[in-house]
Amino acid sequence: MQQGDSIVAGRPFFSGPAGKIFIIWFLMTTVGVLIGIFAPHHLMPTLLSHEATDVWRTMVLFTILAAPVAAIVYAVAAYSLIAWRHRGNQDEPPEDGPPLRGNSTVTAIWLGTSTLLVLVLLAWGLAVYSSEAVAEPHSLQIDVTGQQWLWTFSYPGTGVETRTLVLPINRPVQFNVTSVDVTHGFWPVDLGVQVDANPGVVTVIRATPDKLGSFTVRCSQLCGLYHSFMYAPGSVVTSAQFARWLQAHGASTTTAQAAAFVKK
Amino acid sequence: MTTDLTRPLLLEDTPLGPTAGGFYRRQNAYTGLAAGVLFGFVGWLISHALLQGSNWGTDMVVTVTMVGWVIGFNLGVGTFNAPLRWMLGHDQTYEDELYAAGVGQGKKRYYKFCTDHKVVGTQYLVLVVILFFIGGTLAMMMRTQLITPHTDFLSANAYNAIVSIHGMCMIIATIIMVTGPFTNFVMPIMIGAKDMAFPRLNAMSFWVVVSAIPPLLATFVLGGVDAGWTTYAPLSVQAPPAMDAFSITMIVFVISVTVSGVNTIVTVLTMRTKGMTLGRLPIFVWASIVGAALSIYAMPALLIAFTSMITDRVVGTSFFVAGQGGTGWLWENAFWIFGHPEVYIILIPPVGAMLEVASTFARKPLFGYKVTVAGFVAISALSIMVWAHHMFTTGWAPELAGPFMVTTEIISIPTGIIFLCLIGTLWKGRIWTRLPMYFVYLFLWNFIIGGVTGIYLSDTPADEFFHGDMFVTAHFHYTLLGGAMIAATAGLCYWFPKITGKMLNERIGKTAFWMIAIGIQVTYFGMFWEGFEGMPRRVAFYDPIFQHANDMATGGAYLLMLGWIVLLYAGIDSLRHGPNAPANPWHSKTLEWKVPTPVPLVNFLVDPVVTSDPYGYGEPEPVGPVVIPPPHPDRELVPNLSGDNPLAKDDG
Repeated sequence: MQQGDSIVAGRPFFSGPAGKIFIIWFLMTTVGVLIGIFAPHHLMPTLLSHEATDVWRTMVLFTILAAPVAAIVYAVAAYSLIAWRHRGNQDEPPEDGPPLRGNSTVTAIWLGTSTLLVLVLLAWGLAVYSSEAVAEPHSLQIDVTGQQWLWTFSYPGTGVETRTLVLPINRPVQFNVTSVDVTHGFWPVDLGVQVDANPGVVTVIRATPDKLGSFTVRCSQLCGLYHSFMYAPGSVVTSAQFARWLQAHGASTTTAQAAAFVKK
Repeated sequence: MTTDLTRPLLLEDTPLGPTAGGFYRRQNAYTGLAAGVLFGFVGWLISHALLQGSNWGTDMVVTVTMVGWVIGFNLGVGTFNAPLRWMLGHDQTYEDELYAAGVGQGKKRYYKFCTDHKVVGTQYLVLVVILFFIGGTLAMMMRTQLITPHTDFLSANAYNAIVSIHGMCMIIATIIMVTGPFTNFVMPIMIGAKDMAFPRLNAMSFWVVVSAIPPLLATFVLGGVDAGWTTYAPLSVQAPPAMDAFSITMIVFVISVTVSGVNTIVTVLTMRTKGMTLGRLPIFVWASIVGAALSIYAMPALLIAFTSMITDRVVGTSFFVAGQGGTGWLWENAFWIFGHPEVYIILIPPVGAMLEVASTFARKPLFGYKVTVAGFVAISALSIMVWAHHMFTTGWAPELAGPFMVTTEIISIPTGIIFLCLIGTLWKGRIWTRLPMYFVYLFLWNFIIGGVTGIYLSDTPADEFFHGDMFVTAHFHYTLLGGAMIAATAGLCYWFPKITGKMLNERIGKTAFWMIAIGIQVTYFGMFWEGFEGMPRRVAFYDPIFQHANDMATGGAYLLMLGWIVLLYAGIDSLRHGPNAPANPWHSKTLEWKVPTPVPLVNFLVDPVVTSDPYGYGEPEPVGPVVIPPPHPDRELVPNLSGDNPLAKDDG
């Protein structure tokens, strides 16, 4: 086995292939990092919750970490097409290339780097996930029921049951999700969380809205004929607006106040 | 009759004439069709008479009818001939075996139960192309429906049915797209074997999968499968009788893939020629056996899932019905225990094929052969432990999200080795940019995108945003179409001269390439955009806010489909008008290029002796990687009797 001769060549760095590939790699990495910083922000809907902001942060971080790896693959491939392409008669094969059968140093660096990156991704992902999985003691409970093809939201203790999901800002919410027929996917898009609504069991998902705005609750699990039309309007409002909204939908003043203003 | 098994079978070993004649020799796809329809009709008649009016009547009738069709078709086409004859006390004479291998039947053997691995491979290739065009047409219907938020092209029910069958048709096609054509046609020659280890099982695996396709298409007239290709319960338990036909398709397909997987592994382990050690196997052979081993692990889960689905629907068990003690999560687990290894069953064999292409057209040895093999093995081992990442948002076992996140992200390390091997092989190569190499570069471009977007989805919090939306759809199309299918296309362009005997028209092929390459980017970046905006999957109608992203995806999809049609045209044009291919147009070093083109019935006159691995580009060849000894003078081997394949006497 011949060790890679030119990967650590003795020639001046930027005149050899390694140097040129480095320049291509650097440019591509820069583009990738810029895409990571700007693209998710422009493409994703308004992020109304703490959890949705975490998703956006994850997208940015992962894109930035993936950019150099993708760029090294693309850079070598691009350079191979530019510099090492057979330009003669295409009907006949070029002469053989150098018989490099592997390079343990390069392999070790490659494996080490990818392992390191995976560990960073995992540390980030597990930390974010465990921070979100914690049940807040005073969270607002909302029972979500899916059925073909509409969502019903009820606010336990207030007697309010609606087809519109209204949430107070800055108050942790716990959705207790179930279904009366088939499996649906409860997905309040801009809150950045989702969980399936399964018949016969209650599944739980938590979110903390931290911006005012409106959003759409969609169904993310094919649930039959009118799956496309299974959505409900939702909005994040101030606590005072939320109390008024509960009252307007039949809650007594006391229960509405209790639901809207909880001391943490 | 006793036969000396230590030497090749010769014609004079069979003093007996054929013992099987008559109907046995008239069987072909048409008798299979007739028998299938007949048995299906008998099944319908019996079950209809017995069960009319009972609770589970329709489901039972459909199930029995479809089982009747499958059994009838396979009886009619000849799948069970040899075992049935043994049961009746008759043996097959050597002449019968030669007949079964297609000797003397010319092109008709392609319509028959033929045990020649090259015929089976060619049959598979045609089937895969047909399946891809069925699936592609369904995709075009979906994209046409999505031209505007509320198009009246398809009804909601028809759209859901098309979503399901597009998915499963493509999954079936991609699972067999490399293991069918190339593992059957090329792999035995690559290892210096005369045929697959079990030629009859080999032909069976093909005709069984053929019999599985009509039930899949029959779902459209049986009410449509409205639950997606994943057929989540309990929606699928309530689905129209189409679901019964769909389940029969899947059960029959499992039989085919399992049989073919066992055949591949046994072939590689027992049929290698002298000197073909495991360390000298071409990387494609390794990829084939790793994929086959994985399919033997994964397919039973699917078998169990769909058998339970049928009993739930037909006889009223309740594995998946929550109201009666079952749970949909059981279905989801069983399905994804099959479903995640399945993506690597699809991916690994084409990647192996693509690496053969890369080495040949970079004129360099494969970079890190052993590491790459280890990578394949590691991917397949890890892939059986990642299935629940499809279930992060189902609510099942939230405490397992962490462990499954870990296994899922770790699998990106061995997957990264594929890229190392690829760019290491390109490094300082002499890049010969013929058509197969175009698709290698396209694979590289697409699979990076598919891989990076997969990392987002492996992260549970991010998956809680993207799950069930178009981002996921775009991601797995980048990996399965942009990755696996493009790699398989590289393999197809590479082996086209060997399989068909004609050179592929590269001018038309390159036009197709650019349409496909651009079409993939436009289509699936459109879908990523839809996903970022929050458009759910599998919707026939959508919110007008997703209009622009859908415009992009639909436009790209039309271009993509057109590209595949142009590629098909290039293939057909080359078959009809292309120049004859030489034995080794790419000056490649693997064994399949050492045999004449077209490959004669007997692959090798004499078993070749292998002295090194097939990647010795740029290395001195003291004795050559392959030695083919001259034919033994007192042995006249079976001449080529198939009619259209002249056997080159001076081969080697």
